[in-house]
Amino acid sequence: MSNVKEETLDLVWKPPTIKSKIFNQGTILTIISIVSLFLAWALLVHFRVYRFSLLPSPAEVLEEGIAWVKTSVFWIDTGATTLRVLVGVSAAYIIAIPLGLMIGWKKVFSDFTFPILEVLRPIPAPAYLPLAILLLPYQEMSVAFIPFIDAFFPVLLNTITGVKIIDRDYFRAARCLGSSPKQIFWNVVLPGALPSISSGCAIGMGLGWMGAVVGEMITGKWGLGYRIWESYTLIRYPLIVDGMIVIGVLGLGSSVLIRYLTVRLIPWRRAITESLDESITQ
Amino acid sequence: MPDQTASIESQFWRQLKKNFINWSLLRQIMSFVLFLGLWSIIVVLVNYFHQIPTPKAVLMALFDLPVSAVLINILKSLARVLAGFFLGILIGFPMGVAIGYSRVAKHLIFPAFEMIRPIPPIAWIPLSVLFFVHNESQIVFLTFYGAFFPIVYNTMGGISEADIRLPRVAMSFGLNKRQMLWKVILPAAMPQIFTGMKLAMGITWILVVAAEMMSNNGGMGYYVWYNHTVMDYPHVVLGMGIIGLCGAICSVGISWVGNYFTRWQRIF
Repeated sequence: MSNVKEETLDLVWKPPTIKSKIFNQGTILTIISIVSLFLAWALLVHFRVYRFSLLPSPAEVLEEGIAWVKTSVFWIDTGATTLRVLVGVSAAYIIAIPLGLMIGWKKVFSDFTFPILEVLRPIPAPAYLPLAILLLPYQEMSVAFIPFIDAFFPVLLNTITGVKIIDRDYFRAARCLGSSPKQIFWNVVLPGALPSISSGCAIGMGLGWMGAVVGEMITGKWGLGYRIWESYTLIRYPLIVDGMIVIGVLGLGSSVLIRYLTVRLIPWRRAITESLDESITQ
Repeated sequence: MPDQTASIESQFWRQLKKNFINWSLLRQIMSFVLFLGLWSIIVVLVNYFHQIPTPKAVLMALFDLPVSAVLINILKSLARVLAGFFLGILIGFPMGVAIGYSRVAKHLIFPAFEMIRPIPPIAWIPLSVLFFVHNESQIVFLTFYGAFFPIVYNTMGGISEADIRLPRVAMSFGLNKRQMLWKVILPAAMPQIFTGMKLAMGITWILVVAAEMMSNNGGMGYYVWYNHTVMDYPHVVLGMGIIGLCGAICSVGISWVGNYFTRWQRIF
């Protein structure tokens, strides 16, 4: 009797215990994956396979990294890069989002501006660098200009797509109920486009970090990109990897932060565009 | 009879009017005229911008373009972009399929990728200079790295987000695993795979320009940077335009190929 009872208990769904959460196949394979990545790096450097002997080993990277974090240089570099990214990317948000909303909403406005933006879009951001140096008064601004350009077009295109995919019925309903254009803008266009805008913002932030590194490597005095390049010329190779890691962590962190914030700020987001994230970026 | 031809003719004109002579197109053309006009006026009138070349100067620069040298530069950049791009497809596409198709592969490969992915490709320049002997292979490594992750992620996403009803239908028709992959899942994933390829192409162009600016080995990025150092700004703008044109042509080419692979979408 008791035997049967135990069997039926097994069939009932139980919430996963902590033990089964930790020791399942997925977690173990994940740990194997990450460990083998670092192990492969360490072994390849240690046994001097091909040209891996020239690269720094994980132990050296860790040692140099700890020494670097303790100095004030690290904080100045990180601060400078973060500031440039924030300035460039938020300038892109401020210009691209209203522009995209207007382009998506008003056909006449779109006719006048969109063709020009389409012509400028395929030009890669680093190619703007000479003009930025020429045009902008401070070097800081020309470095921040590259994250701006990098973030601008994804945000713009996502905003336009966001307005375009709003159901036409919402506009008709709003107009039937006698809304003014201003009310339509604030109550239909903006909330409808926000989910797509938010994914554009996250993508733009990621690209902004990439742009800041380009700018700093080519023309910079401070910043993580500059530090990476300088450690290369000064033959402090472990520091290159440290710089790469810090940039990676910061870039990932800022993207995740934006995604998290937008999920919080836009509760209707999840229902509409969970899979839109990747598909709109073209 | 003549009446009918006349109506056909008028229909032709109506089509022409509808497609070519309408207000929208006129405004689009006007926008370019306005843009060029504003550009010239600002450069001429505002003293601060006097170093920026006018549209006229850029047009004049087109005539004394060193055509053969520029063509060689374009071919160099294009070769680097395409080499990295196809290498990215060659390695990234099977990996994306494996990660999207098999859970074990996903748990085994994906976390390691997640560790590497946030590092921007440009930050790899010093290490790639250390590791690779030739300048060409350094640049191709960068373009490969830039193309790799968008392709892997979008292939993976396309496969895992494919409509679950399609494999179910296929299974009830008795397809084996291999047929399932080639006939059902990959075609269903194709739209997103090509989105990833378009993204990858954009990123490879950014990278090739940045890498060429920093190295000394030809290519359009080098052309732009060289003209910047000799203060020949009309050619800088022209070089930017050429790079943009090449990038646009590549992206159009991808959507052209993509149309062929996603032709099932037109049936539905």
